[in-house]
Parts: sequence; structure tokens; C-alpha cells
Amino acid sequence: MLTLYRPGTGWLHRAPAGPKALALLVIVLAVSLMPSTWLAAAVGAGVAVACYLVPRIGLAELGRQIVAVRWIIVVTFGFQVIFLPLESATANTVRVVAAIVIAALLVLTTRVGDLLDAFELGLGGFRRFGLDPARVALVLAVAITTVPVLARIAVGVRESQRARGARAGIRSFVIPFLVVSLKHADDLGDALTARGVA
Amino acid sequence: MTDQVTTPRPAPAGIRSRIDATDIARIAVFAALTAVLGLPGGFAVFGSVPITAQTLGVMLAGAVLGAWRGALAMLVFLALVALGLPLLAGGHGGLAVFVGPTAGYLLGWVVGAFVVGAIVHAGGRRLTWLRTSVGVLVGGILIVYAVGVPVSALVLRLPLGPTALGSAVFLPGDLIKAAITVVVTMTLVRAYPRALRARPSVRA
Repeated sequence: MLTLYRPGTGWLHRAPAGPKALALLVIVLAVSLMPSTWLAAAVGAGVAVACYLVPRIGLAELGRQIVAVRWIIVVTFGFQVIFLPLESATANTVRVVAAIVIAALLVLTTRVGDLLDAFELGLGGFRRFGLDPARVALVLAVAITTVPVLARIAVGVRESQRARGARAGIRSFVIPFLVVSLKHADDLGDALTARGVA
Repeated sequence: MTDQVTTPRPAPAGIRSRIDATDIARIAVFAALTAVLGLPGGFAVFGSVPITAQTLGVMLAGAVLGAWRGALAMLVFLALVALGLPLLAGGHGGLAVFVGPTAGYLLGWVVGAFVVGAIVHAGGRRLTWLRTSVGVLVGGILIVYAVGVPVSALVLRLPLGPTALGSAVFLPGDLIKAAITVVVTMTLVRAYPRALRARPSVRA
């Protein structure tokens, strides 16, 4: 399945997923807690640029990330400038966008599989509360493989409706889609049971 | 995975003791369903105004799976998003969406699905139109906004009033989705009764 990962060989790509996630979270938190001033906006923008330049991800990628959230920028700024002074509106928008593009670095430079492993490792601490990390990882892995299956089911349902000349509406689509998906879930449950998952 | 069979089950305090293979499959399928409902090629409801059907998945997960499993399905969906799968409507994903202005709504989906399930399946009785409607409206809309708006206000550093006003644009779409969820759930009771199997061990 398509992911947000961009292949690369830089040190940020090679860094272990867990510490990388923690480090990026700290930076994002620091940026998020800055005051709503011109100076803070400049610092936030500078940190975001540095986060893309220092690991040599490049400003082109930063540009792509900003374009991807263009509607958040338009809505956030447009809405803020009605209620707040220009300085606060600008600083708030810059801060939110900086936090978003810095956080995006994690999935840009880490494979889903590596993140899943780090996630399972991190969940180990919750074992004493009755949480089984292996079981959580199993659910996530099953869910990841189910997305394309359901996407195929959705296309199939829509095509068979079109073949019968039915009008494409959300309600007439959802019921058959849901029934076929639930049947798939029951088959999946049987398959898991057959493989020894209680 | 084979060691699961003999793993001693923790005290009833843990919800895990009630999560069997069928539940794992259903939780995974509803997480995937929420993802598929957000894929491009959305549905035209009023002429050509596109609305994302993703919150439909939130309401359906609670109404069909019940409180705990519905909330778990949402947690699994959000975990997939956090792991970098572009599953949110518009192809968004990654840790970034959890620091943006809409992060609260994502959290609200988990709480909302729980509340939908708790009300719709209250007392483990047969589903009624009234209880399903109330559950979907309270859990799927009221709770989601109650968590989403304050977080949005916090991230944007805006007063609560204007933020709530701004998010009201999505209210008509959510009301349509709530109506669809109620009709779909009540139809499902007849079309696929196994979907809402009564389980004596399920608390809420």
C-alpha cells in the first residue's frame, strides 16, 4: 500500500525509529508552546527550515509538505485574522504549520514496518496493565492488510450497482458494503482462530 | 502468536479478556472501513458538494461493535494513521495530524465511538430506533465536537466561541451522516443479525 515514506539514505533515515520519534516530538512540543509573537513566528519557521536542511531532506520536500497543508493554512489564517491582531494570527498560523511539517519528518524518513516495531517495543511498558504488545501489533498488521481488501470490496459493490443501473447514493452503497465487509471480518476471525489466536 | 492460547487472562478489569479472534477481526475491519470511507472518489450527496464519509465509520463502529470494540477500532485506525499511512480524508497521515488544529476531533472519534456504542447497546437490549438515534447524535456529533472544538481553540489560540462557530460548517454533513448511520444500523439488524450478536460478557 501507498505510504508517506520517501526513500533516502541520510542519517535521519538511518536513525532508529523510537529515539527519532521522541526527538521530533520534543521539537514539535517546543515549537507548539512558543508565544504568539513575530519573533516566535520567525524562530518557529527557522526551526522548521533547519529540520529539513540539517538532515539534507531539502527545501523542495519542505515545499511539498507545505503545499499538502495549504487548506489548513488558508482556513487557519483566514479565520484567525478576523478575530485576532495580525501579529497573533500570523504567529499562530506559522506555529501550527511548523509543528505539522516537523512532525511529518517522522513518516517521511521511517518505513511503516520499522515504526510498527518501535511502537510494539514502546508498548512493552504497558504490559503490567494487562496489555499484550504482540496482540496489539497483530491487530495493526491485520488492519493494514484489510484496507486494500475493503477498498476492492467497495469498488466491487459500486460496479455491481452500476451494472444493475442503481443510482449511486451513499446509503444504497453503505449497507451492501457493510454486510460484505462484516462477512469478510467473520472469515478473518475464523482464519485467526484456525491459526491459534484465541 | 501460539503462546496466546495459554496466556493467563488478566482480571476482568482489563478489556483484553473479552477480546477474542472474532473481535480482533472486527476491530481491524472497522478500522479499515473507516480508512476506505475516506479514500478519494467520495460520494456526492447534495449534487456535487463532496463530504467525507469518514465520520460515518466512527458512528458505525460504535453502533455495530459496541462501546469498547468501537473505541478500539478507532484507536487502531488512528495508530495506522500515526504510523504513516495516508488514510485520513485528503490523503493526510503521519504524526503531523496529531499536532494540527483538527487533532482533537481524532481523539473525539475514540471517545465518540465509545459513547455511541454505550448508548446504542445500553443494557444489552434489542436495538431501538430511538436509542440508536440518540446514541449516534450524542456520541457521533456532540462528543466529537465537545473534544474537537476545545483542542482546536487551544492549538489555534482562539476563543472557544469563534472556534465553535467555525466548526459549525461541518454540522449539516454530520447530521446527514448520523441519519445514514441510524438507517444503516437498523437495516443491518435485519440484513445481517450476526453483526450485532448479543454477548453476555460484554458490559456496555
